[in-house]
Amino acid sequence: MANDREVLREIWDGKLPICFQLAQEEIMEIQQPDPFYVMVPRLSYFPLVTDKMKRHFLRFISQENADSEMWLDYNGQPLKWHYPIGFLYDLFCGNDPQLPWTLTVHFTKFPEDVILHCPNKDIVEAHYMSTVKEADVLKHRGQVMSTMQKKDHNQLWLGLQNDKFDQFWAINRRLMESHGDNEGFKHIPIRLYSDDGTCNQRLVSPKNGDGSRKNLNQMISELYPDKNDVKFRTHGVTLPLDTPLQWLSEHMSYPDNFLHLCLC
Amino acid sequence: MSSSSSLLFSINNEGKVYALSTSGSCWREFMYLGLEFKTLSAVPHFLWAVGGDRQIYLHVHGLEIPIRVKEESFENERWLPLEGFSGRLLPTDRYHFSSQDGTKDRSIDRIRLPSMAWQWEGDWQLELTLDGQPLDHDGWSYAVDFPAQFSTVKQWKSCVRRRKWIRYRKFSAMNSWCAIAPLHKDPTQEPFIDVSIGGNDIPYALPGSLSVWSITAHGRVMCRSGVSTTSPEGLKWINVSIPPNCDIKQISVGPTGLVWALLWHGRAIVRKGITKDCTTGDGWLEVKSPNETKLSSVSVGYNAVWAVSSDARVWFRKGIDGTLAGSSEVAAMGNGWLEITGNMIHISVGRNDQVFAIGETDKSIYWRSGITPSELTGKRWRMVQANMQLSRTSSTASVMSSASNPKHHSLNTLNETGPELKSNIKLNNSWEESHSAPIEHTLPVKSAKERRSKGNAHVEHVDMTGKSYETTLKNPRAWSPVRSVGSVVGMEAQPDSDSSVFDVDSGMYFDEEVSQTAWGTCDTTWTFVDAGACCVDTVQIPHWFTDNQNAHNSDLSTKWRIQILESLKNRNQGYNIDLSNYGIAIEEKGWTRSCESRLINANNTGEDCILSLYWHALENIGTLSVFQPDGTIKFILNLGEVTSVFTSSEPGCPRVTLIVPRQLKDGIKVQFISEMEQEEWLCVLVDITSQINTLSGKPSPNSLWAITNSGDIINWDPKAAKLNADNNGLYTKEFQVFGKDILSGFSTNLSSSFPPGSTLKVVGSLNDNIKRFHINLQGPEIKKQRHKIEVEVTDIPLHFNVRFDESIVVCNTKIFGNWGCEERHELPLTPGQEFSIKIICQEQGFKVTVNEKSYCFFEHRLNPETITTVSVKGPLKLFSMEYSTNSIIIDPEEMVWRVMGGYLRKVECCQNGIVWGISHDHRAWVYTGGWGGGGLKALSTKEGINSMTDTQTYCVYENQRWNPLTGYTSTGLPTDRYMWSDITGKHKRTREHTKLLSRHWHWISEWMIDYNTPGGVDSDGWQYATDFPAPYHGKKLFTDCVRRRRWYRKAQIVTEGPWYRAGGTALLDISLWNDGEETSVWAITLGGEAIYRTGVTANTPAGVHWEHVNSPQSFIAISTDNYLIWAVGRKGEIYYRENSCKENVAGISWRIIEAPKCNNNFNQKSVGAKSVSLTKHSAWVLLSNGVFAVRTEISADHCDGKQWKYLTECETTFKDVSVIEQEVWAVSSDGALHRRLGVSADSPAGNAWQLVHVGPIVHASARGSSLHST
Repeated sequence: MANDREVLREIWDGKLPICFQLAQEEIMEIQQPDPFYVMVPRLSYFPLVTDKMKRHFLRFISQENADSEMWLDYNGQPLKWHYPIGFLYDLFCGNDPQLPWTLTVHFTKFPEDVILHCPNKDIVEAHYMSTVKEADVLKHRGQVMSTMQKKDHNQLWLGLQNDKFDQFWAINRRLMESHGDNEGFKHIPIRLYSDDGTCNQRLVSPKNGDGSRKNLNQMISELYPDKNDVKFRTHGVTLPLDTPLQWLSEHMSYPDNFLHLCLC
Repeated sequence: MSSSSSLLFSINNEGKVYALSTSGSCWREFMYLGLEFKTLSAVPHFLWAVGGDRQIYLHVHGLEIPIRVKEESFENERWLPLEGFSGRLLPTDRYHFSSQDGTKDRSIDRIRLPSMAWQWEGDWQLELTLDGQPLDHDGWSYAVDFPAQFSTVKQWKSCVRRRKWIRYRKFSAMNSWCAIAPLHKDPTQEPFIDVSIGGNDIPYALPGSLSVWSITAHGRVMCRSGVSTTSPEGLKWINVSIPPNCDIKQISVGPTGLVWALLWHGRAIVRKGITKDCTTGDGWLEVKSPNETKLSSVSVGYNAVWAVSSDARVWFRKGIDGTLAGSSEVAAMGNGWLEITGNMIHISVGRNDQVFAIGETDKSIYWRSGITPSELTGKRWRMVQANMQLSRTSSTASVMSSASNPKHHSLNTLNETGPELKSNIKLNNSWEESHSAPIEHTLPVKSAKERRSKGNAHVEHVDMTGKSYETTLKNPRAWSPVRSVGSVVGMEAQPDSDSSVFDVDSGMYFDEEVSQTAWGTCDTTWTFVDAGACCVDTVQIPHWFTDNQNAHNSDLSTKWRIQILESLKNRNQGYNIDLSNYGIAIEEKGWTRSCESRLINANNTGEDCILSLYWHALENIGTLSVFQPDGTIKFILNLGEVTSVFTSSEPGCPRVTLIVPRQLKDGIKVQFISEMEQEEWLCVLVDITSQINTLSGKPSPNSLWAITNSGDIINWDPKAAKLNADNNGLYTKEFQVFGKDILSGFSTNLSSSFPPGSTLKVVGSLNDNIKRFHINLQGPEIKKQRHKIEVEVTDIPLHFNVRFDESIVVCNTKIFGNWGCEERHELPLTPGQEFSIKIICQEQGFKVTVNEKSYCFFEHRLNPETITTVSVKGPLKLFSMEYSTNSIIIDPEEMVWRVMGGYLRKVECCQNGIVWGISHDHRAWVYTGGWGGGGLKALSTKEGINSMTDTQTYCVYENQRWNPLTGYTSTGLPTDRYMWSDITGKHKRTREHTKLLSRHWHWISEWMIDYNTPGGVDSDGWQYATDFPAPYHGKKLFTDCVRRRRWYRKAQIVTEGPWYRAGGTALLDISLWNDGEETSVWAITLGGEAIYRTGVTANTPAGVHWEHVNSPQSFIAISTDNYLIWAVGRKGEIYYRENSCKENVAGISWRIIEAPKCNNNFNQKSVGAKSVSLTKHSAWVLLSNGVFAVRTEISADHCDGKQWKYLTECETTFKDVSVIEQEVWAVSSDGALHRRLGVSADSPAGNAWQLVHVGPIVHASARGSSLHST
């Protein structure tokens, strides 16, 4: 049960200051557009928070590009919109925090081979829901999501989209309940990312062989037996190694119910 | 397994049947109809039970499609040469009316309904089609001869014809108990002792087959033939022979039809050979019981057989295979017992081999978790903690036809209709009458008491706590602990507390003001459970188990968590960014939330409904919509009109009350499905109403504080109203007068009276045909008793009467009902005209302005501060009425009360914002300035919320009457006193049936005999009296015929709130006063001593320490105002403290004050005081009969005042009062908060009460208020 409200609230309220700048080559007006500053929730996705910014820059680009899909890059790296914002920040700037996070906005030359297209918010929702379902399969064999109604699924998405903590958690807490009779999930939905962005997703159980709660350190020795001094970062904080995985999954997952941990 | 809901059935220790749905979390009782049940057995939709009369009953429920059977009869005719087709048939022919194959006689007049549970649907009709082809209107089909093929066409060679008659019969005893015909004509000749139904899953059998077995008192085993889903009652009992020397005591039929029976010796026998063709089997096998134990209860599942032995051990039979049990002996009897840990006294296996059992010690129901097809023994027992739906049984008013109606009442469909996980069992309030069902065997013809007196030997006296003479619970409503029964001497002494705590005489205090709200019967103790109809989904387990929610989060204090939390908080720190440039990415939208709940009415009945909340933070709008379960709107509330939200739970019934004065007088009470749901909604509603009214954080020092019945602390802050004052310090209120009927008179309260400085402005238009109208500024209505009770306004300081028929305006005053001298003026208005009239109260009199022009001046004859109401009457229309005055206008519709958090019994404030509280266990708390805690966790300000505990004591009385034969026993009690009861004896209370209010409460002691009951007790705790309501004493006298003993048990609540402990001394009462510099705090200890607190300032509200004052007498209440200190003694006498002043706070001595006379016609005995509240010049004393006496003309020289004034016109009784300056606030006995109107220097007792909050409130403190703007 995810009942540490204080931590949940801190995670939910986490925001990043971002400075959006229009790519130089796309500016069609003589006047330079002001950079667009905005605080975005770490838990959200870029397509959900960029409406205002898009409107701001629209008048500075050539008309023919106005309808094409917008994409963002950081330091030349295109940003994958289907990752949560906070996670992208941790991935790129985790070791070297820079605030505000300065991103470049593009409307042309969409990097087809690097990132997926995102024509509208429904795609984001579809991707989000499928990730949640995947997490549920890992945690509960899919039982919880399949017994929920459509309106509950909607409430989850709307709660995230509109930044409504109570609305979101009213449903999400069901996904954080233990599986059947055990105290804990069947498997922990967790994705581990190394510096270059490669993802490692393994089946991790929240319990050790003797039934005790597995913590980060124990998971590290299982998965990275050769490496010393492995640390993980998520939501902008480095995790203490004795944190239990079950607690971590309940409280520090992203809204898609996965833990996205960056190796640091 | 399907995830739709199924039912678990149980019988409690009173023989009442309850059902629990897997999709619900409450036990619903089958309507009690005067019959108790001994055992029951269920498969989905069919429940068989043995009643207290040892007859067998059947209950069919939850079927969406009724059971209908088509009866057929073929009418056969042969063609005879002379007559043509005729019913006279050849001797070798089939019957005239026969079955299809002709072999059976189906004479129409002999086709009967199988039992009274069936009804015909319509009459016999012809079937007019044959194999899809239509027949002619008389339905004949023709053939050469009978066994040949029939066709629709008559041919020359057709010698026979037939037609089919059909009639449908319907099983109409749905949802009600049907008695099954006994074996012999006299039902008592061979009664039944057990019945079991199963066979709903016999391998390869026709769908719908069922198998019912039973045991009679003669030890015979019976199998009911013909039981199926279309024939629920079956046909008749067939005796199945048993091996010799087998005394059978219990039988169980599993889903595959497998039958196990237990013998009294403890062994088991198993019926072998049960297959679809031979449902009665063909022999018995014997199974030994586990070593050295005797089996006492067995239950058969599909691949499992579980049993319980007489030493309460649990056994699992290995090797059972349901599919093969019919053909293989080993599969039927298994091959060994495996002991399972647990101490249970009864067990039942459910549909998917899930197991339920009843615990040995606590008689609760347990579920075996972890049972899977591969792990049939499961992992551990979990207690089923479902609430009881009390309201159904307790309020007979909910039944549309009264309970005395001997016809059937029944529950409608117990199944939910949708796949909602959290839905309750949908029970509509309409009661379906069952048309048939054998009346004479069933219920509730006579009351239980009468039936027993018939001396029917087979009716067993179930002596559970000796209830033999108890009739059905008349009104077992939830009832409350006697709150704040003080700590028993010696039990809760704090090390630094008063030594007087150890004084033997301090006894226990009964706080009678606290009305008995929320107690209830707990999950009663169970004697029987049957899971035959219950299918538990092991992944989505029902919401019956709260054990995982109780686990306190021990992770809160771990190092890693603290480190994570710190790191999270420190993100984004250390960067020099000016965040003010950053906009917010997400735009605000409204959000909604819905849930299913129940609306509770004034008589404690409920109706299911759906709540839907909508809130848009930016626009500050919120609505709460309430829908019927079918989706139609019941009503919609604007959350801006909600003035108060607080809890009003009873055990098992988590509730929230919303007060909406504009819409409903009494508020809306909502009951939620679970405590979690209730707490979330409370939090959300408090949050939204606070945001709408911009209330947050610490309230202003002039707030009013009150405690509700449920221990919630609520606060009204006049700050918002104060901000509305204009520059002159005037407060204005617009009355809603547009469209009101003035012809018959319109009046409304002027809640701050009409002192000099006040203005009333009335704007309207006169009707064309107007003859007269008047505007009165008047006092309250007084009840006068002449020939009958009348109400009359006896004092009208200003009567402004415009008379068009006499062309004058008359101003006058009515004093004590008599009119004074008229002052006449010229008419300033004409009929049909629009007008504005302004009345300004000045020092000398009223100045009246008409249509902006000064009109007249009327000198005061009565003090304008006695004005409580304005009244306008006449044929005119009002557009607006505006009232301005120089103190805050108290308008209940505008006063928003906020729940602050915490749990207390009393709260006291003073004018600098220092607030103290006293909990039920007499501990003192000080307000921290925060907001939140407990149910309001989500709102909590970060600081100032601490954990709080409070202890309350529950009491039950054990009553006994003496009789010559057996001495003191619990039998022989008069019918109006329960054996285990509350103090009045009128409400049943038992120790087992005591339930805690919520999961925040837990027991901290066992039930203990109270040796300190007032009156004294003997060495066993009994106290004696000649008869029940007489005085009790500890020593048994010859004349004493009754005795009673008090048991108590303590429960503790753990919660949080913005309070911290102040000292260790236990307090009875406290009073604070502050005049801007000094703050005095006086209190009474539990032992009755008067003490005062030193060092109390706004920065140190808890002060430093207590100082004693010599108190030769014991006190129970105290009040202080500006070095005046009054106290009430234990016997009701009143004292004042002499010579207390700034230099010598303690004063010198106590002096007694003359007692108020009580004008009690019935009883000349003087009535003592209970509590007191002081202002500078008067003291309001609440007498123990709820009546007020006001001591007036108190001054520094006359600390005891000069005379008593009484509120003669007032009939309401009160239980609490709080006064300051000219504000008098009191809580009436029914829990409503009132304010006294018309209080002035001349009239310190005021003249009327104004209802401010309907409550239920137990205590209020207004001593911080300064509603006057000066």
